[in-house]
Amino acid sequence: MDLTRAKIRDLRKALDTKEIGAAELCGEYFKKIEASDDKLLSYITVTKDKAMEMAADAQKKIDAGEASMLTGIPIAIKDNICTDGVKTTCSSKMLENFVPPYDATVIENLKNEGYVLLGKTSMDEFAMGGSNQTSAFAKTKNPYDLERVPGGSSGGSAAAVSASLAPCALGSDTGGSIRQPASFCGVTGIKPTYGRVSRYGLVAFASSLDQIGPICNDAHDCAIMLNAICSQDAHDATSARVDIPDFTAKLGQSVKGMKIAMPKEFYSDDIDDEVKSSVVAAAKTLEAQGAQLIDCSIPGLKYAIPAYYLIACAEAASNLSRFDGIKYGYRGEGRTFEDLIRDSRSKGFGEEVKRRILLGNYALSSGYYDAYYKKALALKQEIIKEYNEVFDIADVILTPTAPSVAYKIGAQDNDPVKMYLADICTVTVNIAGLPGINTTCGYTGEGMPIGMSVIGKRFDEQTILQCADAFEQTFAPTAPKL
Amino acid sequence: MELKTIQHLCELSKLNYEDEALEKVMSEMTDIIELMDTIKSFDLTYDDTKDNNSIKFCETREDVAKPSFPTEKLLSNAENTDNCYVVPKVVE
Repeated sequence: MDLTRAKIRDLRKALDTKEIGAAELCGEYFKKIEASDDKLLSYITVTKDKAMEMAADAQKKIDAGEASMLTGIPIAIKDNICTDGVKTTCSSKMLENFVPPYDATVIENLKNEGYVLLGKTSMDEFAMGGSNQTSAFAKTKNPYDLERVPGGSSGGSAAAVSASLAPCALGSDTGGSIRQPASFCGVTGIKPTYGRVSRYGLVAFASSLDQIGPICNDAHDCAIMLNAICSQDAHDATSARVDIPDFTAKLGQSVKGMKIAMPKEFYSDDIDDEVKSSVVAAAKTLEAQGAQLIDCSIPGLKYAIPAYYLIACAEAASNLSRFDGIKYGYRGEGRTFEDLIRDSRSKGFGEEVKRRILLGNYALSSGYYDAYYKKALALKQEIIKEYNEVFDIADVILTPTAPSVAYKIGAQDNDPVKMYLADICTVTVNIAGLPGINTTCGYTGEGMPIGMSVIGKRFDEQTILQCADAFEQTFAPTAPKL
Repeated sequence: MELKTIQHLCELSKLNYEDEALEKVMSEMTDIIELMDTIKSFDLTYDDTKDNNSIKFCETREDVAKPSFPTEKLLSNAENTDNCYVVPKVVE
């Protein structure tokens, strides 16, 4: 069976018609991982033995006619989502040998479906970065060009799906960490509305912004994955009390009459011309299908990067204070309690993580709190207000996912400011708690994928999936040759 | 950023830097703070009574004691003896 960019629906059919067995399917993916991942470095841990056990259980369900959509489907999981008994490192020396004693709620939900765990994918350390190059273990490369970054922080998940080393994967998105790597690797990834998916068992970076979501080969598969992972969860105080719809319900429906806003700030001179023209061409394609394009403005975008980094790092400084080298994680040395903790943290965390902890504590410290942290919260209110105003006149918003396509490895090393500024197209979606989906809308002259983002109203994932799916029906993606 | 500021931040963050690394991070933090300073020209004040985020979150569960994880399992990622964390002997 050709697994190149195989979709969940195709695999479901093959499993149900016995064209392939669950263990055989799983074995085929492991063959591909063994053949290619030494170059790509998308996985940190490959769970072959566990996968074969899970595949055997899945096969029993299939044979009994009790299969769900994901029964026997191999899935890769980002290494910051807790998996009971399977190492979860967050790509950090701090958690190099950490084995969670419980499953995240999303993992429980996938287990109820009978999924098969292929392994844990690499990421930027503690999800802090947009290149996967801050990983302490596997600095993942882009399947379209091994000299370029895959994006991040869910770069391992995006690269694995792009290179057909998994049919689908879970990532997490705090400021673009699903959408941007999906864009760089030419696949589809959705960040759900804040509160839609339980964060229980996701190692926290910035709790008011983090959200788990799927990375797949198309919008339809993303909808299938969302159906499986969404649930209201008493373990997560920010799990929203809203109905969970069938996310596939609007797929295939026309976009005729859909109002698509294009805020001018997202199409400024800071965005590469090739990216801009590709997204505008995609908008014209949707217009030709009957959608209405609307000009609008989100002036708060000007302040989005400092607002995002102040809020995210303040929360990170607090969340990461739990890593003391005593309860779990890397243990350093020291003759006093204070020395022990400081040595553990100094040697366990990488440079980018430490910079963000310092920035967070700066923003929260006496004398700076009002000028930085509270100002960032004011900006958050303003950005939410501006998005609400756009959604008074539009159904969705269309933007580039990143200012450029995947860049060369090393191009942003030693320049954290440049790295932060590259997040401009994605961070406001997290600040406002909105859902956003990336899908591929073109390729550069060098063959690198270009991504566009469709942003929706809060809890209206169905409409952005519908819009992305409508575009995908007109677009033929090219798989990388690894 | 001044030396005493970065030293204070290291204290708050429980982080150590060698002299050369401290110079480097001080320079990087200066650039980062310069970027953060652009927010100061935004002329609005945070009003926590006007929060636009109106998501209805999970209701608080009943305060009923339920079985938790086995202690042994929770301690499996740490040095432990007799269900206690073990730390090096410290005399302060």
